[in-house]
Amino acid sequence: MSVRAEVAAWLAAEWDPATMSAGRPRTEFVAAVVEAGWAAPRWPRRWFGRGLSDDDGHVVEEEFRRVGAPGSGQDRHNLYAATVLSFGSDALKERFVGPMLRGEVAMCLLYSEPGAGSDLAAVRTRAVPDGDEWVVDGQKVWTSSARTADYGMLLCRTDWSVPKHRGLSFFLFPMRQPGVEVRPLRQITGESEFNEVFLTGARVPDEHRLGGLGEGWRVLQTALAYERSVMGDRARAGRSDRGMAEVGDELVRLAAETGRLGDPVVRQDLARVAALRTVNEWNALRAKAEVEQGSSSSVMSLGKLAMSRILHESARVRTALAGPRAMVEGPEEPIGDEATFLALNAYFTSIGGGTDQIQRNIIAERILGLPKEYEVDRDVPFSEVRGG
Amino acid sequence: MPAFAVPPEHADLRAAVRRFLTECSPEAEVRRLMETGAGHDPAVWKRMAGELGLQGLIVPADHGGAGAGRVELGIVLEEAGRALLCAPLFATVALAATLLLECDDADAQARYLPGIATGDTVATVAVSAADPGRRPPGSGVAAAGTAEGWRLTGEEPYVVDGHAADLLLVPARTPAGLSLFAVDGRLAQRHPLQTVDRTRRLARVTFADTPGELLGRDGSAGPVLDRTLDLAAVALASEQAGAAAFVLERTVAYAKERVQFGRPIGGFQAIKHMLADLLLESESAISAARWAAAAADEGDPDLPALASLVRAYCSDAFVRIAADSIQIHGGIGFTWEQAAHLYLRRARTSAQLLGDAAYHRERHLQRSMT
Ligand SMILES: Cc1cc2nc3c(=O)[nH]c(=O)nc-3n(C[C@H](O)[C@H](O)[C@H](O)COP(=O)(O)OP(=O)(O)OC[C@H]3O[C@@H](n4cnc5c(N)ncnc54)[C@H](O)[C@@H]3O)c2cc1C
Repeated sequence: MSVRAEVAAWLAAEWDPATMSAGRPRTEFVAAVVEAGWAAPRWPRRWFGRGLSDDDGHVVEEEFRRVGAPGSGQDRHNLYAATVLSFGSDALKERFVGPMLRGEVAMCLLYSEPGAGSDLAAVRTRAVPDGDEWVVDGQKVWTSSARTADYGMLLCRTDWSVPKHRGLSFFLFPMRQPGVEVRPLRQITGESEFNEVFLTGARVPDEHRLGGLGEGWRVLQTALAYERSVMGDRARAGRSDRGMAEVGDELVRLAAETGRLGDPVVRQDLARVAALRTVNEWNALRAKAEVEQGSSSSVMSLGKLAMSRILHESARVRTALAGPRAMVEGPEEPIGDEATFLALNAYFTSIGGGTDQIQRNIIAERILGLPKEYEVDRDVPFSEVRGG
Repeated sequence: MPAFAVPPEHADLRAAVRRFLTECSPEAEVRRLMETGAGHDPAVWKRMAGELGLQGLIVPADHGGAGAGRVELGIVLEEAGRALLCAPLFATVALAATLLLECDDADAQARYLPGIATGDTVATVAVSAADPGRRPPGSGVAAAGTAEGWRLTGEEPYVVDGHAADLLLVPARTPAGLSLFAVDGRLAQRHPLQTVDRTRRLARVTFADTPGELLGRDGSAGPVLDRTLDLAAVALASEQAGAAAFVLERTVAYAKERVQFGRPIGGFQAIKHMLADLLLESESAISAARWAAAAADEGDPDLPALASLVRAYCSDAFVRIAADSIQIHGGIGFTWEQAAHLYLRRARTSAQLLGDAAYHRERHLQRSMT
């Protein structure tokens, strides 16, 4: 039986949106998806997968998308499970990969600090060994979902005597313990999803280390690549959309609703945004084809920068359509509210996960082969580096 | 086959065309041809047909061609765009051969396609190359039936390679509506224009009681022309995307080599970031052109909307890349000797051909909303 037939048959037997809304919990269905190996089909059987090719993996995702069922594609999108799978010990994988795929472990990313954002290799949160545990002190910031998280992916410094990229280690860090204090920050959208996290004598067992001691930078690169690829694929489509829905094209409908569909300037904008979106989808397909044909794909690294442009550009058009309504927010003025929300939330993609400027550096250096940025502190022992 | 997969025969075609153009269309040759009246080298034109079969690429085998599709044509035109090939390839193949294939006239196909495939016939379509929105095809020429046959009168102001065409395919109005005519190029009055882009020529073509031969049914040309112009738009997008990608490659190479303040200018973020943005443009243009060519071969019913979306994108991308390339080259980019301006000239001119970006965006919207 072809993969497509197999997954379709499985979905036909297991997936029924009606019973979902009638109370079969989503978690129960996703657990079945994980159990059957559809959550991460490209991974080995031993680790919840089916050892499928990337091509077949996409077939599985397509079938899930076709019926609207959740849970698949996690080998591409679940950066937590993927990072644990790549760098954790077998014991750690046994304990976490399954629950992460089933969505039973709430996670956050403990990377950024007040003095280390774009320059993540400059983190100053320190971990000091104490028996088979580490004691962690420091401060993280902009940590999305920290309040609800069970664990965080922690980047911290374990060696101050070597240059900045070499003294870092990476941990799967338990958030629910006395040494962790989370303070919500209010965002420009009015929401409070990101937080400050204060770590004071907090503890993490050494067996929760991902990758070797001092190899945190390499682990981080893997985790960031997953994060950036997700951000190139998807973004929030509106205030009410709490998940990461595919960016839908509602601009034409909105133009009709606001009586602006006849405006030639608006029409040019609508077509321009449609082109940006469509072309980005084609780029993603082309990247997939290039990777499958065994060549490296330069198109792949462009997705996040492209998505950032799409979001800012569509928000600009949306604002133009809203006109004076964009001065008012709240449920009484949904069109204006949404325009402002999306204009502000576009920065989630152009700042979070590496800013547009950092993405351009990466594209210029890694794809075009241009000279690397000069880093004054690159080869200096970190203990001698100036903070800021 | 999955979208964007490249079968080995396509890679081979690309390599063969690139090899040929490296030999026959190096910059020195492009510059030499720019100064000639004909604008292309007839000997190279014959070799293109004889050795590579480029003119006959999309011509069916029973008319002496290779019977290939729009994807293959796209590959050839990407390469022609990179090399700034000076030859009436776009006019002869993407316009004229395409129109002959689309029009329902087996006799005309048998009469004209073999000559195109052998390289003996240079052909073009006499549509005004400028904005077809403001000047729809056939609006400038009228045809009248007389005892001696059809006679055409009128003018098309911007006909691609009109000066060189042995065969002019002319949309013209008759009492029955828009119709197509084949006209012997020598019988029309052709005034070569002083084109900004000397690597692709335009002519003003005037008809004064000029004999023409009806193609297909009288009054039936509308849909045929629409379809031809969509396919030509996709072909031109390929040429633009190929040229844009090449301009970016040479600009990146220059940025690595030119040293100021003791380091390559490509190390300055102002330049790096420009180049990163241009890479997004160039790769997106390539994806768009290749997608549209494949959609054309697969008979995608959305082709009209797609073709316009892709044309608008590729026109803008090529202009932006060619323009920024001048800036990144600095003073040397302002010299005639540097090739950067040759590409900017091609970019700015091709962005006007068969409808500018704004026209195609509007057309995309109209066609995607119905
Ligand atoms: C909505 C949101 C959610 C986030 N969630 C998380 C999270 O969950 N976990 C987490 O760890 N972090 C998170 N972040 C933090 C995010 O990763 C950082 O904000 C981002 O990497 C930039 O760092 P910074 O804020 O310190 O800005 P800075 O690094 O100080 O940058 C300031 C400006 O300088 C520019 N700049 C910096 N370095 C360079 C350079 N080398 N070349 C050119 N320009 C440069 C930047 O582009 C930017 O414009 C989130 C951020 C946002 C906005």
